[in-house]
Amino acid sequence: MPLGPPSSAIYLQNAAPGFISTPGRTPTSVTVHPVALFSILDHYLRRNDAQDRVIGTLLGTRSENGEVEVRSAFAVLHSETAEQVAVDMDYHRTMYELHHRVNPKEVIVGWYSTGSNLNTYSALIQNFYSQETTPHQAIHLALNTGVEEGQQAGVKAFIGSPVGVNPKPENCVFVPIPCELRFSDAERSGLDLLTSSPSTPGSATFTNPASDLEVLERSLQQVSDMLDRVLAYVQSVLSGKVKGDAAVGRYLMDALGPSTEDLERGEFNSHLQDTLMVSYLANLVRSQAEVSSRLALVKAS
Amino acid sequence: MAATSMAAALAASLPAPQAAPTPSAPTYEAIPASMAKVIDIEAEIPITSVQLDAMVVSKIIKHAKEAPGSSAHGLLLGLDLDGTFEVSNSFPLPHHSNDEDDKSVKSVARYQGSMLRSLKEVQADDSVIGFYQGMALGSFFNQTLVDTQAIHQEKLRHGGIIIVHDISQTARGNASFRAFRLTRSFLDAYKRNNFSATSLIDHRLTFSAILEEVPLKIRTNALVSSFLSTLSEASVPPAAQTNPALATSSAAIPPSYSGLNLGTGNTPRNLELIVEALDNYRTEEGNLAYLQRQIAREKAKADAYVQKRKEENASRVAAGLAPLPEEDVSRLFKIPPEPSRLESLLLLGRIDAYGKSLEETASTGLVKMYAAKGNTGN
Repeated sequence: MPLGPPSSAIYLQNAAPGFISTPGRTPTSVTVHPVALFSILDHYLRRNDAQDRVIGTLLGTRSENGEVEVRSAFAVLHSETAEQVAVDMDYHRTMYELHHRVNPKEVIVGWYSTGSNLNTYSALIQNFYSQETTPHQAIHLALNTGVEEGQQAGVKAFIGSPVGVNPKPENCVFVPIPCELRFSDAERSGLDLLTSSPSTPGSATFTNPASDLEVLERSLQQVSDMLDRVLAYVQSVLSGKVKGDAAVGRYLMDALGPSTEDLERGEFNSHLQDTLMVSYLANLVRSQAEVSSRLALVKAS
Repeated sequence: MAATSMAAALAASLPAPQAAPTPSAPTYEAIPASMAKVIDIEAEIPITSVQLDAMVVSKIIKHAKEAPGSSAHGLLLGLDLDGTFEVSNSFPLPHHSNDEDDKSVKSVARYQGSMLRSLKEVQADDSVIGFYQGMALGSFFNQTLVDTQAIHQEKLRHGGIIIVHDISQTARGNASFRAFRLTRSFLDAYKRNNFSATSLIDHRLTFSAILEEVPLKIRTNALVSSFLSTLSEASVPPAAQTNPALATSSAAIPPSYSGLNLGTGNTPRNLELIVEALDNYRTEEGNLAYLQRQIAREKAKADAYVQKRKEENASRVAAGLAPLPEEDVSRLFKIPPEPSRLESLLLLGRIDAYGKSLEETASTGLVKMYAAKGNTGN
């Protein structure tokens, strides 16, 4: 899922003299896992009153084709005043080592900040993180939490490139690169759990661990609703109320066309027997276990 | 209960009395009723539910997915408030191999300490309130889990909590988180380190009485939920506006139908695990029976010896001789201690859990099969 509008700035290539752009090393796109996103939002919630924005380190992996995968993030202490910016480097190193022990595959790929204003300090911090990630380029994730009025929540990813005749650390062009949210199947179902909570935000819902059957029921219900919608659409096309869309028709054909001919009677029955057998076995095992544990409680008199 | 909540409501509606301690004599005022639920120094309010933050949910899922096997293990941080454990953060613990046990325990402790210190610096919660454990197919009963929780239940406020996360179920599209703690009767038996048959009977322990489940809530804070909903709005395809018939449900994240997958890939593995656990249980039972027989044999020997000595003494007395001294039987015969049945108890629990997960797979499989068949029928 893309996190922002597409930008053509990706085609800006860095032509600064003395800048080595080895193919495969320049990050071309960023994928963010929900863990990192939630960590950043949590950090923002826990900031000091005095802090306008919070920053932290992004951990993840790089692939050969320049895709950077941000898999987790941790907060880093920093302070910004009108005169200076300070990042607690010791803290950053300690935290990185701690994370590295659990997840040796994840390395520093860049840094995040909340709010979407990029200033001189951003360039300085970018310079610092570039040193941490050499020989690779550091990426910068600007996450707008959308709490300030008139700003939309979203995530933008940048890479920094030096600017000027003599590149200085405080000068930097932030070149936007595409950024999208990615989740695995497992994380997917976790997100379902989070988004399924009712519309009142901030409230907590009891989730009695839903059994698989309930989840299945919900999915089947959704499928049935969708079929109803498709049916309504097809019928309105047939009756001539709506002009049919050829593309939609083809998609429907593809989706509904594959017949389940191979699911013949015999095969269905044998599979049914297997499933029933497994179910019977499971019940048998469970009751045996229960009996056995009760028998242990009987006094041998 | 009703009376106290009424009092709390009343006190909350009134302006709170200013607690102004005089500098000369610090008097400890009673905590005002409105605050009594918040300030709980002695941990008197019993824990009735657990609340998981969105970040913790995603962190645990990530760790469980990446850790080898079902070894994901980490600590939960947060606080307890009015009978609810609010889990607001968590961090994974390094996967420790079994070699050089002492060293790894120490390094884990050091890791834990420095992680907590670091988290405190960025104003994250730094009080440990339990741990989480990844598992596959419902098998979380094991010795280490029980040991760890027993230690926690001693040390932590309210005894801490275990959050169990089932990887295989989550992969099937049903993120499963459950909260547990040890029951009182089990803890009592554990403290005495006595799992003999009589102790089990006294405590009425079966595998289902080892852990008690605590209701669990998932909480997405306002910022996260607003962020997620903004993202979802942005991703509505433009085609949806022109053609309302095509408008997908405007869920941010397109709905997944992993629950509808017809594959039954997990079943063989599940069956294997059941057979394995049953084998282990049989071996364990065999050991127990062997020990039991040994105990019986030694006891019979001792009894026979005592009996013989008595008869001898009786004959000596009859012959007018001084009776031989009664010797300490326990020194002559080593009666082995009664074996612990904890292991077999846990194995039974594991078998039950595997059986349950197999049952669920089978039942959903059945439904899915008929759904697919309904498609062909007409």
